[in-house]
Amino acid sequence: MAGAIIENMSTKKLVIVGVILLLFQAFAFMVGGLIAPSPTAAVHYLATKCVDNVKHRQDSKWFMPWGPNQCDKIRSFDEAMAKHIEANNIVFAVHIPMPYKEMSPWFQFMLVILQFDIAFKMYNQIEDGALVTIDVGLAYRDDTMSEWTEMAHSFEQRKLSCNFTTDKTFDNEGRHYECDLLPFMEVGSVAHKYYLVNIRLPVNERKKVNVGIGEIKDIRLVGIHQNGGFTKVWFAMKTFLTPSIVIIMVWYWRRISMMSRPPVLLEKMILALGISMTFINIPVEWFSIGFNWTWMLLFGDIRQGVFYSMLLSFWIIFCGEHLMDHTERNRISVYWKQVGPIVFGSFCLFIFDMCERGVQLTNPFYSIWASEVGTELAMAFIIVAGICACLYFLFLCFMVFQVFRNISGKRSSLPAMSKARRLHYEGLIFRFKFLMLVTLTCAAMTVIFFIISQVNEGHWHWGEHTVQVNSAFFTGIYGMWNLYVFAIMFLYAPSHKRYGDEQTRDTGASSGEDIQLTTTITHVDGPTEIYKMTGKEAQE
Amino acid sequence: MNHDQTEIVIWFEVKHFCSLVSCRSLAVGHQYSSLGTQPILCGSIPGLVPKQLRFCRNYVEIMPSVAEGVKIGIQECQHQFRGRRWNCTTVSNSLAIFGPVLDKATRESAFVHAIASAGVAFAVTRACAEGSATICGCDTRHKGPPGEGWKWGGCSEDVEFGSMVSREFADARENRPDARSAMNRHNNEAGRVSVNDNMFLKCKCHGLSGSCEVKTCWWSQPDFRVIGDYMKDKYDSASEMVVEKHRESRGWVETLRPKYNYFKPPTERDLVYYENSPNFCDPNPHTGSFGTRDRACNLTSHGIDGCDLLCCGRGHNTRTEKRKEKCHCIFHWCCYVSCQECTRVYDVHTCK
Repeated sequence: MAGAIIENMSTKKLVIVGVILLLFQAFAFMVGGLIAPSPTAAVHYLATKCVDNVKHRQDSKWFMPWGPNQCDKIRSFDEAMAKHIEANNIVFAVHIPMPYKEMSPWFQFMLVILQFDIAFKMYNQIEDGALVTIDVGLAYRDDTMSEWTEMAHSFEQRKLSCNFTTDKTFDNEGRHYECDLLPFMEVGSVAHKYYLVNIRLPVNERKKVNVGIGEIKDIRLVGIHQNGGFTKVWFAMKTFLTPSIVIIMVWYWRRISMMSRPPVLLEKMILALGISMTFINIPVEWFSIGFNWTWMLLFGDIRQGVFYSMLLSFWIIFCGEHLMDHTERNRISVYWKQVGPIVFGSFCLFIFDMCERGVQLTNPFYSIWASEVGTELAMAFIIVAGICACLYFLFLCFMVFQVFRNISGKRSSLPAMSKARRLHYEGLIFRFKFLMLVTLTCAAMTVIFFIISQVNEGHWHWGEHTVQVNSAFFTGIYGMWNLYVFAIMFLYAPSHKRYGDEQTRDTGASSGEDIQLTTTITHVDGPTEIYKMTGKEAQE
Repeated sequence: MNHDQTEIVIWFEVKHFCSLVSCRSLAVGHQYSSLGTQPILCGSIPGLVPKQLRFCRNYVEIMPSVAEGVKIGIQECQHQFRGRRWNCTTVSNSLAIFGPVLDKATRESAFVHAIASAGVAFAVTRACAEGSATICGCDTRHKGPPGEGWKWGGCSEDVEFGSMVSREFADARENRPDARSAMNRHNNEAGRVSVNDNMFLKCKCHGLSGSCEVKTCWWSQPDFRVIGDYMKDKYDSASEMVVEKHRESRGWVETLRPKYNYFKPPTERDLVYYENSPNFCDPNPHTGSFGTRDRACNLTSHGIDGCDLLCCGRGHNTRTEKRKEKCHCIFHWCCYVSCQECTRVYDVHTCK
């Protein structure tokens, strides 16, 4: 008897494995839902309006909104008007985080969003396509007494897209426009305790800089970072999952290499899936606690991208190798049509990510969405990637359809086949159906949880406990795909059942009796329970 | 009518309420910048009840925001009622800045309480976001080791803190068992609820390549005008109540019951009152009505700001006025306007 473990396992054992995996799955959801806080936190900052007095300028060019050495503030611009303070001398200062708090490397990243409060005035409206030019500086320090150290400084442009929902009449003067959120800043690591943002909106009438942007009342920033608690839970999970996947991967590859024949494509593909899963799992993020590695965010994206494209390729190849149409495939080049879109699509997203997060490594204020050309380019990349995804799913659906068509064709001819042939095909059908079922369940779970986490407010109250749905989504889905890869490597590893015990395993490798996972026909000694069961099912 | 109230800081109601009128240290305006260095002396604020005094001492740093909140509440009141017979008039030379208007349990009193209470919640939330108040938000309710709450799970929303401050401070003097206290408590709460109701959720996606795989949302405050509009709706649909007396162990207790059973009973969002408003047409020192004499009215309007209704049928005077106005202006986003001067002729209608 050969073939994959899944074919040779008794129903009882299969159920036991399934239950154990389900328990781990439930555990993964619970870790996120009950232990971890919500994945990210948003903190609302209202910029303090500081006045840049000339005499002040020599002391320090950084303006603190509060605390010792705070700047000269104005409360409203009416006050500035009365004191004849010019727009160029107003500095919007935001200290991140709030007083008596400090940032921590556990926050992983810091993403800041910009929002303008602009009041409607009949004679001072926002012009169409108005651009705001901001002169922005970012500084850090690690204790409350030391001087600020500049981290980045840049002139940036952001397009104001605001609309005024009520009638533009004198009566409605003073109401605020509704403005879209603007991307402001993204930092890939939070290595320092205190950050200070100073924003200026310089006016130059001759060059048409910051003219026609309406009457700005306030600048708000929203700082988003990953919660420290979530990071800790996440790291713990990764640290636990890495060895699990690595061990099963080593075990799997040992089994493959013990066989006399060289590994087939599908077996290599499963190994590649395991490797890409490990690539995601390896908790290199631990280094972000000690080192100031801003590229971690980009690296995380790349790791995720590699895994997703590997998973998608695996599905295609798995379907292809179970087509049962007597065509010898077994080479990746046969699948260029299907794998091509995946590679191209993920390449597009990679380029896009490099343009956005890659550039942000040098200038945290950069945003590809800020400029007209950038927006079009970004949209182009995303649309191409979207088309690739559609193409891929068409191919995949077509392939799955083909497999099912062949299955029903084979089913009618099964009783007429020789026993060995029949069992071989029944094995193929069972393997395929099993993976199909598990994959569909996992995908459905992912989609369902994604939708739940999108529509709901983030946490459910359940008696005295608060269940963090979003965290449960992340840990649960992450755990699920790990278990998926784990299960595939375990269940689809070549079976050694016919050698019975451990001692004979080494000799088994050279016996040349091993069956390939794919299309080779073998002789079989007596079907197992599950085999019979599925064979029956396939005939129905 | 008096618009000059930069120096007035009030805690709404007349005799019952603190009117922090002359608390200069709290005064918003030009002294603001020195607030960081100058301690606020809670004891110097007139009219605080012991509970408020205690609160003031515990939360000294947010007292300017409390004052600011009352101010924006009153400004909003004046905006919402600008064309009406009662236009939220304030008088500056008295501890009771609204005059005796608020002595009666009218719709107007209900509105003033609610909008001021909303204003406080609003301004405190704002101050929290500015970092000028250090005690906001982050409490220790979150899981994780104590003191590490912020690092473990972030902070709670500031708006809860704003409402808490407003509740602690404004309701501190409304603890009597009489109907008026019950009404004020209800209306104060309605104001705070309206702030919470008008919060809106904003979200940002920042997952893989900016996808919505990871989405973070937060509550945002609208500008106060939106809350003012909402409160004005509630003023128009305020519920009239009747007072009921019960005998309880601590003595007579007055509660409020809807007057008309066929209307829906008021929810916590609705304003309640139990005395009818005076018509505010003629000056009456007893009711606090200033009358509408000499108020400008709108000739073309058939609404309450039209000359017919505003002048209570007394008719109006018309005079032409030449005004020098700024025109063809060039604006900067802040603090700079260059204009030409134009002269325009207006017809001004005022009530007889």
